[in-house]
Amino acid sequence: MGRLRRMPFVAPFLSMLLALMSVPALGHAQSAPADIVFRGATVMTASNGTLSPGAVWVHAGKIAGVGTTVDAPASATVVDGTGLWLTPGIIDPHSHSALDGDVNEATSPVTPSMHMIDAFDNRSADLYRALAGGVTTELLLHGSANMIGGQAVVIKNKFGLDRDAMVFPNAPGSIKFASGENPKRVYGSRDQLPSTRMGNFEVMRMAFEDARHYMADWDAYDAKVKKGDKDVVAPKRDLKLEALADVLRGKLYVQIHCYRADEFLTEEAIAKEYGYKIRAFHHALEMYKVAPQIAADGTAIATFTDWWGFKDEAWDAIPWNAVMSMRQGVRVALKSDSDDHIRRLNVEAGKMVHYGGASEDEAIRMVTLNPAWIIGVDDRVGSIEVGKDADLVLWNHDPLSTYARAMKVYIDGDLFFDASQPGWGTTHFNGVMHEGGGFGADDEEDGQ
Amino acid sequence: MKLPVKVISNVTVSVTCLLVPAVLLAADTPAPKVIAITGGKLLTVSHGTIENGVLILADGKIAAVGTAGEVKIPTGAEIVDAKGLTVYPGLIDPESNFGLTEVSADTMSNDLAERSDEIMPHMHVADAFHSETELIPVARLNGVTNAVVAPASDDSVAGQDIFIQLYGSRQQMMLGTDVALAMNYGAEQRRRGGPQGGKSAYPSTRMGLITELRQTFLDTQDYMAKRDAAAKKDDKASKRDLKFEALIPYLKGERPVVIGVYEAYDIETVMGLAKEFHLKVILNHVTHSQEILDEVAAYKVPVIIGSIYDAPRANERYDAVYTLPAELAKRGVTIAIASADGGGPVSSHSARNLPYAAGFAVAYGLPYDDALKAITLNVAEMFGFGDKLGSLDVGKMANVVLANGDPLDVRTDVKQVYIQGVAVPMVSRQTKLRDEYSK
Repeated sequence: MGRLRRMPFVAPFLSMLLALMSVPALGHAQSAPADIVFRGATVMTASNGTLSPGAVWVHAGKIAGVGTTVDAPASATVVDGTGLWLTPGIIDPHSHSALDGDVNEATSPVTPSMHMIDAFDNRSADLYRALAGGVTTELLLHGSANMIGGQAVVIKNKFGLDRDAMVFPNAPGSIKFASGENPKRVYGSRDQLPSTRMGNFEVMRMAFEDARHYMADWDAYDAKVKKGDKDVVAPKRDLKLEALADVLRGKLYVQIHCYRADEFLTEEAIAKEYGYKIRAFHHALEMYKVAPQIAADGTAIATFTDWWGFKDEAWDAIPWNAVMSMRQGVRVALKSDSDDHIRRLNVEAGKMVHYGGASEDEAIRMVTLNPAWIIGVDDRVGSIEVGKDADLVLWNHDPLSTYARAMKVYIDGDLFFDASQPGWGTTHFNGVMHEGGGFGADDEEDGQ
Repeated sequence: MKLPVKVISNVTVSVTCLLVPAVLLAADTPAPKVIAITGGKLLTVSHGTIENGVLILADGKIAAVGTAGEVKIPTGAEIVDAKGLTVYPGLIDPESNFGLTEVSADTMSNDLAERSDEIMPHMHVADAFHSETELIPVARLNGVTNAVVAPASDDSVAGQDIFIQLYGSRQQMMLGTDVALAMNYGAEQRRRGGPQGGKSAYPSTRMGLITELRQTFLDTQDYMAKRDAAAKKDDKASKRDLKFEALIPYLKGERPVVIGVYEAYDIETVMGLAKEFHLKVILNHVTHSQEILDEVAAYKVPVIIGSIYDAPRANERYDAVYTLPAELAKRGVTIAIASADGGGPVSSHSARNLPYAAGFAVAYGLPYDDALKAITLNVAEMFGFGDKLGSLDVGKMANVVLANGDPLDVRTDVKQVYIQGVAVPMVSRQTKLRDEYSK
């Protein structure tokens, strides 16, 4: 980078060179059949119970029929699911995969104009391994070093396609906030604000004061333009304040990393003070202590099943948190926050049967429909319903058991993973996989 | 603890246990009574499955095991109705850090590794073991009754392990001290700085690591020879060197050395050293040994696999590590499976997931019976407790688990755990929080 800065002529030269090389697209253009029909499998719809066996008809990448029988055309490709289970694709509402560790611009506690898409490495082995675990949609979030980390990207895990073809089309934008020990540690270790939770929240208020001011300037400008004032001069654009103004205008879903019950309450109070809504608390390990209040605010949670004790603010974590919170009206999703756990979120959902007695339906929704809601794509994915995207996973065993393996993974009706194939089992990828970011349970400034 | 009713159903087991204060942990356990567990499906581990079985626990040991027809229930025995339940030996975690850590990020609550030098055989886990750690009841509730506690993997020779049971007074819990030597070899032990900071120092390469180990073992042999010679001549013994003293039983091959190693080429190097000094080896991890599996089998040493969740290489199939237990077992290797999470050092906060790691190995080809053995009998045998633990056999310690289904499935709920014949309170700090906020 430094080198490019000193020799500005290099950059255009490079792009010319790249254009001349005409880099080929990663994937083979394997076109998916127009019609597919799954027969014989136990179909866990996530929205309307389980059909055993059920049938699902996929037409042009969308689910066209679900039931004990479907009216698929005779020309449809038949997938025999006898003895297998079919579920919606698994959705992870909290991943840091495929970012080569670029999850925190930890040089300032407020960096809302950092965009995750700019760090997204679509050839990362992280994506492949998640795909092999049945994950079809991920919300790639910033880490938790900063109070306001930046804007997320929603991907469909179409491993092997070009970067932009993996972006979930027209998904709402999300922005990552964080509070608690991580920002305390990152900035406190440098003797900078915020080194306490007092500092945490005041940093946010100060940022929103700036944003309000900025927004007012623009509102005034827009009003004048609307009145036909041709001489009015637009205020200078500021990417940071523009992003924060989008929060105040409700254009971005606010996703907040925090652990403790008191922090949920403080975050909700600040959200009310500045007039935005919190879409979900992530981690939220103490939600069981204040669930009714948070349920009333309409905020969901994306939580770990049973990780605990890795730091002080995770000391009161209990594995019953998810089900206890759900029973008190909170919408609950499970998430990985880990390149390891993302490979078996279905098994994590199975733990909810054990810890609190979730029904199969409730458990499967925690890794499909509920995370889809948190991301804001529940009208398109997360359940097996007519009209939704045909993101489907065929398992060799009950997906909530320890023994389930994803055998086939479809996204938009196209097969992206097939465990019966030799080698990787990928159907669209033929490039060189990049080593993942190695992001897991013990990374310091990112997850947890 | 007292079970107030003589005949208890599955439901009352858990209810009565909730009433028992967890302070019992620190005190000596009460004397075990005679208990008859009837009607359950017994997974004996050593001799198959017994439907509608009867298990008699007396004096803290298994007094009888068999079918309802075979086993006579002693008069006065407390009868536990296990109809519909699965009954199996307590699970044994082959690598844990129970009592060496509390809150991972809080360094003051950690006694994981003495990093001041890389050859630290004279570090005894027994000296640091904090038996009242909150981690133990949490793991116990999922059926883990025993564990090896080892120092973390920072050093080439990290110290000596203890073998514990997860209930009782501190003395009762430590079934064995200095049961094995914890060794490590590979990239992590190089002194190139690292997470704790510090500057690069010898040994900063694998060459340095192995040379330092070889010199240490040679020095120990020299020390032993001089000491023996002095003893023969009845000379005044030279000053005792605790580091060398600690290594003696391991260089004599009397106790096992657990070698943590990940890469195929590192395995070959360190096994060369082990052969040179006739160490009694248990290999640990072997995560990236896929290309030398036959060689690993030819070593004829037991292998601990953990974490099964460690990531494969970028160019490998997604299940390259998941299938490792199956591939090794297929080649006749005695395996154990550890509870560790993937992608980092061992953290016994997750030890309650031990049975699921074994279940995951089953999903990827390991026969079920081998998986259950890998978290029970095999671990006991590797660490010298094969005659006391790991299966439902007469004369063994009565460490028994009752669950409402398949022990390796995440959906299964453990109903009661017995350790040395005592019904352990099914309580942890976490159940107390749950109950407090469920009011």
